[in-house]
Amino acid sequence: MNGSKVRRSLGRIWRWPALLAALTAFGLLSALIGQTGFWWAWSWIALAAPLAVIVWCAGKSLLRFQV
Amino acid sequence: MTRRSLRSWLWVHKWTSLVCTLFLLIICVTGLPLVLKDELEALLDGGLPYAQVPAGTPNVSLDRLAARSRTMYPGEIILSILSDDDEPKIVVFMAASWDAFKADRKSAHWIRFDAHTGQVLKQSKPFDGDGKSFLDIMLSLHRDLFAGLPGELFMGLMALLFVIAIASGAVVYGPFMRKLDFGTLRAAGSSRLKWLDLHNMIGVVTLAWALVVGVTGVINELSTPLFVLWQQTDVRAILAPLRGEPVPPQSELSSPQAALDTVKAEAPDMIATSVVFPGSPFGSPYHYLVWTKGQTPLTSRLFSPVLVNARSGALVSVVSMPWYLRVLEISRPLHFGDYGGMPLKIIWILLDIATILVLGSGIYLWLSRHSSVAAEDRLVASHHASALSPLRGPAP
Repeated sequence: MNGSKVRRSLGRIWRWPALLAALTAFGLLSALIGQTGFWWAWSWIALAAPLAVIVWCAGKSLLRFQV
Repeated sequence: MTRRSLRSWLWVHKWTSLVCTLFLLIICVTGLPLVLKDELEALLDGGLPYAQVPAGTPNVSLDRLAARSRTMYPGEIILSILSDDDEPKIVVFMAASWDAFKADRKSAHWIRFDAHTGQVLKQSKPFDGDGKSFLDIMLSLHRDLFAGLPGELFMGLMALLFVIAIASGAVVYGPFMRKLDFGTLRAAGSSRLKWLDLHNMIGVVTLAWALVVGVTGVINELSTPLFVLWQQTDVRAILAPLRGEPVPPQSELSSPQAALDTVKAEAPDMIATSVVFPGSPFGSPYHYLVWTKGQTPLTSRLFSPVLVNARSGALVSVVSMPWYLRVLEISRPLHFGDYGGMPLKIIWILLDIATILVLGSGIYLWLSRHSSVAAEDRLVASHHASALSPLRGPAP
């Protein structure tokens, strides 16, 4: 799939980034507006998602490189 | 997107980034310890610990602490009294006189009392005699490069360029990713290709966070002019009827504790955080200015000043804050990341490090710009081709 000649639509290119942006917005606001630890926890999970994706992408690439 | 507009966006992304990157690196690196400012300050403080008291122990009277402070520094005046709701401390700020303070803000000093026992826990030297702490240096580098207001405006401009760089980066992300799956890092490719993929991936993943912290950073850098604007419009209008009256000497002031109690009675849902004495450049010539805030995570960031007549002790008015100061107040937590406990601070630090990686890889991509020019040409050419061919169809 990587570097394949198939051209991706704008929707496909932005699917993941848009999801992560929405999670970030939710995470930033839930800790600010929510009044309980419950909302804090959701904020941490939502804002950790971009970091998890970075680790996942880097890990995937490292694994492929070793094989 | 046409070839020409893609080229223009690439140009915008390259040059806004290049101009701000060095300063943004300073901002990101100094921002790391600043995220943990409260914790580090507590660690490096060296003051006496708070007394252990049963829950529900009331605070000592501000009047007692004011009298005590004046006894410790005879002839000096009290500038303001800070009453923290996070920690059981009350801090009294003093200076030789209002004129001395206005001439040199650094001539002020403070005494920290235990809020429950009234014991002196720590005293500052005059602000200029204390030397700059590690965190002071970090904050100056982060906010104004030791250059005061011009430095704040300059760093604000750099933050604005950063925001434009992020937006233009998002625009050119699409064309770069036409033939790639999300998150692909072409590890087998050239070194430049690896860094380009890393730059794109981390950049787009942290896009929303960087945008929010960038925009709120710009707003925070405007806090000085915004407060001046407020003082010269709303505050001036409130004080207009009293213009020309002399500032009451401190010996003739009504009780600051009574002023605090009056405000608490008027607004029982609010927490009073400080009392600014009459004559302060940050207050009124004739009133105690009592800063109050709400109790929820959001409203605890929104401050409202209440004016109390400093001779009679009567409540004058609850001042409503203009929208631009409300925006500034909401921008603070969203910039500092200090509103969701330690896990949020750690996430903030990690996202900051991710931003440093985006900036660093951006510099690398520019330094390898000989191949960068060729790559841009290829991108623009292939984008043109794809614009002509049906979407998602095979490349010609």
